[in-house]
Amino acid sequence: MILLEDVIVDFPIYGSAKSFRTELLGRATGGFIRREGRRQNRVAVRALESVSLKLSKGDRLGIVGPNGAGKSTLLGVLAGVYTPRGGRVVIEGRVSPLFNTAPGLDADDTGYENIVTCGMFLGMSRAEIEANTPAIAEFTELGDYLNLPVRTYSAGMIMRLAFAIATSINPEILLLDEGLGAGDARFAERAKARLDSLIERSSIVAVASHDEGLIRGVCNRAVLLDGGHVAAAGGVDDVLETYRERRSRP
Amino acid sequence: MGGGTFPARGTLAPAWSLRMIPQYDVALADFTNGIRAWRLWGRLGWQEIKRRYRRTAIGPFWTTLSLGIFVAGLGVVWASLWNQDPKTYLPFLCAGMLGWNLVQSNINDGCTVFVGGEAFIKQLPFPYSMLVWSGVWRNLIVFGHNLCIFVLIGFYAGVPVTAASLLLLPALLLTSLNALWMATVLGVVCARYRDVQQVVASLLQVAMFVTPIFFTRDQLGPRFARFVDFNVLYHYVDIIRSPLLGRAPEVWSWIVVTGMLCLGGAGTLWFYSRFRRRVAYWL
Repeated sequence: MILLEDVIVDFPIYGSAKSFRTELLGRATGGFIRREGRRQNRVAVRALESVSLKLSKGDRLGIVGPNGAGKSTLLGVLAGVYTPRGGRVVIEGRVSPLFNTAPGLDADDTGYENIVTCGMFLGMSRAEIEANTPAIAEFTELGDYLNLPVRTYSAGMIMRLAFAIATSINPEILLLDEGLGAGDARFAERAKARLDSLIERSSIVAVASHDEGLIRGVCNRAVLLDGGHVAAAGGVDDVLETYRERRSRP
Repeated sequence: MGGGTFPARGTLAPAWSLRMIPQYDVALADFTNGIRAWRLWGRLGWQEIKRRYRRTAIGPFWTTLSLGIFVAGLGVVWASLWNQDPKTYLPFLCAGMLGWNLVQSNINDGCTVFVGGEAFIKQLPFPYSMLVWSGVWRNLIVFGHNLCIFVLIGFYAGVPVTAASLLLLPALLLTSLNALWMATVLGVVCARYRDVQQVVASLLQVAMFVTPIFFTRDQLGPRFARFVDFNVLYHYVDIIRSPLLGRAPEVWSWIVVTGMLCLGGAGTLWFYSRFRRRVAYWL
């Protein structure tokens, strides 16, 4: 179960030159960039404004919205990576965020070594990793390459390895940012099956994506974020409809 | 699932307003869960060492070798410069450098611990202290490598192995625990103020020459020798150097190092419970 109440997230901006900041503030950006502090000398970007959300078992939430709407930040809050500045967050259950590539992947280590390191970072025990390794190796089709350092792999091969490791976990709460890249088209079919099974195993799923097909295929509810606000929430079709209307408006 | 590596289960991030309300439970959980993740940080530290072995003939022994050359070269010259017996001066210098290297690399690595772990901190909920542990562990392994040089020099100079030599173990434990809180504080501060790392590195470089490592405190003369007692770094080095030389460290050194651990630990709890949650934003 995940509960967010009136969550506010601000990102501080440091190190930008004074003039640049003044210029930023000079432009009316709808209040996302604000000054604060006693002398109004700090600058912060408001990424989430008063977001409330409740996810229970069986929920598959799609998060949509334009670039910079706060989708990834919201996932970060759900993951427990960002502690919000205001509001309340309750996370019950093990969260498995799968953002970007596999965490801890090191180019100097071999494929097999990386399976262990990444697996441990994703919360698997050594025994689970041992048990999963044949399936991971089989899926990647990397064969003897797994005994070589990852730096010898092509980009597509690294992607396949990272994807195979990431999809071997047994998550309670699964968070995905833009799905997961699976490399070349030949793998698309098998990758989809593997991703579907991962989602199937999870009790709660939240996906942020621009891909309407993915959202429709996976989710049973959706939220539309815009400028850090929840602009719409509810059924997938309704929310996507609202999103499309907003985009077509000048 | 993963044997409780990450603290997500049943975690309640409490409500807070704009003031920095301390989250002691979060800070303590970070610390204890960090210890519990020893399999992971043990592996990270070890892999880092293994990486240094790759494609080099002698791997991490390069740092050992350069230390050996440094000690041998400097030791012989300075021993004659100060009219000292190389058989007393070389082991003294080597043991001091071993202790200093451990302390110095712990502090320097502490500055980059969270900045270097950015990819993890922004992607996963996990105890940040795990990154600190992995660095401390890695430096202990390097210390083990460097110990080889001392064994060689010890044989040459006939350094006695006594009951006091066993004090090296509690000394290493105390050093590592101290490194833990220092790295945590420095890691957080350096995440916010990137200049601090340079400041710390420069200060440490000067401190190496001011702290009695190349010379004994007696050589300083009575006027300056009493200031050495206030040099914390001296005591960190002393509790490692003395057991290596087969002597018990000064009682005052134990007191200072243990006191620093207690004070530093308490201060770190105060600090970390307030600023841990900011780290992800600062990176």
